[in-house]
Amino acid sequence: MQIIKIMEITKLNIRDLRKMLDEKQISAPELTKIYLDRIAKYDKNIQSYISVVEERAMKDAESAQEKINNGSASPLCGIPLAIKDNICTDGVRTTCSSKMLENFIPPYNATVIEKLISQNIVMLGKVSMDEFAMGGSTQTSAFAKTKNPYNLSCVPGGSSGGSAASVAASLAAASLGSDTGGSIRQPSAFCGVTGLKPTYSRVSRYGLIAFASSLDQIGPIAKNAHDCGIILNAIAGYDPHDGTASKSNTMDYTSKIGNPIKGLKIAIPKEFYADGIESEVKEKVLEAAKVYESMGAELVECSMPSLKYAVAAYYLISSAEASSNLSRYDGIKYGHRSQIGDDYNELICNSRSEGFGEEVKRRILLGNYALSSGYYDAYYGKALALKQKISAEYDAIFEKCDVILTPTTPSVAYGIHENISDPVKMYQADICTVTVNIASLPAISTTCGYNKNNMPIGMSIVVKKFDEAKIIQVADAFEKKFTTIEPLL
Amino acid sequence: MDLQMIAYLAELGKLHFSNEEMEEMAVQMTNIIEIMDTVKEIDITYDAEADNKNVYLNDLRVDQKQDSLCTEKILQNAVNDQNCFVVPKVVE
Repeated sequence: MQIIKIMEITKLNIRDLRKMLDEKQISAPELTKIYLDRIAKYDKNIQSYISVVEERAMKDAESAQEKINNGSASPLCGIPLAIKDNICTDGVRTTCSSKMLENFIPPYNATVIEKLISQNIVMLGKVSMDEFAMGGSTQTSAFAKTKNPYNLSCVPGGSSGGSAASVAASLAAASLGSDTGGSIRQPSAFCGVTGLKPTYSRVSRYGLIAFASSLDQIGPIAKNAHDCGIILNAIAGYDPHDGTASKSNTMDYTSKIGNPIKGLKIAIPKEFYADGIESEVKEKVLEAAKVYESMGAELVECSMPSLKYAVAAYYLISSAEASSNLSRYDGIKYGHRSQIGDDYNELICNSRSEGFGEEVKRRILLGNYALSSGYYDAYYGKALALKQKISAEYDAIFEKCDVILTPTTPSVAYGIHENISDPVKMYQADICTVTVNIASLPAISTTCGYNKNNMPIGMSIVVKKFDEAKIIQVADAFEKKFTTIEPLL
Repeated sequence: MDLQMIAYLAELGKLHFSNEEMEEMAVQMTNIIEIMDTVKEIDITYDAEADNKNVYLNDLRVDQKQDSLCTEKILQNAVNDQNCFVVPKVVE
């Protein structure tokens, strides 16, 4: 194989890789080896992976090749993927980027993994994240503090920073992430890739290590919206293991690609373009809106008055749920166990204090505060009321418009040492993404421009529940008119 | 937020903090609660009935016996002996 060909293969999208595999221009083991070699070469600097599973990946590739050879390859057969390290993989260490789960080997697969295995994917490894998915920088990871492939001195975003960085650096063809308050979309924006947060309940959460159960959702991160649709086709659907999984029918989420944008009503909620958003970010998102207008879409100004309360409502709800979900880590059944502790209570306290990092501890304290007697109605009750109000405001916008267009983040990726020590600043940076989780809606982030330093800028497209096919159609229409800049590694 | 409240929340969360960590956490939590206090500005009430109207409690899966995880796999992540979790002796 020519060297030029090897270099270019990892830049290809899933459909092009599928074609090469099916036409026997390359075998699945050869393709896997190219990705593994690239990880060995570049991931020392980027640190997107916590675990690379070479041996398993090569076995996966051989099984995939057999399917290809007998003509029964599914759309993801032989495609090398990275999996966020909070998604359980039978026999493969799953740390959640926490010392608490440093040696945890799940005894079962998450439903999404079972579904991907049934398509004969190649799992390259498990990628880094903020500890227990709490953060927006991947710098709270206990094992791999991932860097942004566009600038190694900047954060990749988070919490699915490893998922986004591995795709941006072509260290995986695509990846799975999870999104509780923007954890797929924000790192996708920072790393110049496309990330889809499906409707809450569209994808099973069984085997996803819980952060905030009413908000968590697994979704794909890929080079473009079409690839996200192919992965969503594989992972969406009802699951008897997840009581919140929707029984509504799935569909081919790529089926609307290519349909005209003419007549589409795009809402531009003014609060998302207010003072806290960097001017370069606003400018590029509004330029993208003009591109849609040139395709025949109509831009409609609108308002979401409750946006100013959204960050508080999100952190109250998510921390309340997290403090409850994390109570299972007692150092007894699994997870880190302290060597110090003469009685049961001391053992639990020491195990949790040694196993959890600072940000996780802060969220536990905040959650306990929000749920405490005397504070419950004022904080948690009010946050739930805001959840209803924000959902109603989205409903009102969707009565007049088809999609909503907003920036994904208030700024481009920031320096590794900025913001990290200031939790308040970090929380406020989630302003553009949290309402989507609060209202259980689907949203996609795709690159709409670059700032003067060539750092990617992301825009978010939000639609009604279960209308993922429309998001993919709308994002794809822009992507076809936009030229991306690859990171220089 | 004062140190007494931090100590109370830590106790609820089964967490230990050193005196220095408590001081730092008190400052950070005070700043965090300032943001959370913005929810008090708005006069709205949670409607639990509206949230639960689409929950169908009869929509449960059939109660069938199914294969479960084997004991060996369940114990693989814990200190164990003779098919049991091993914990420190806490009863004299």
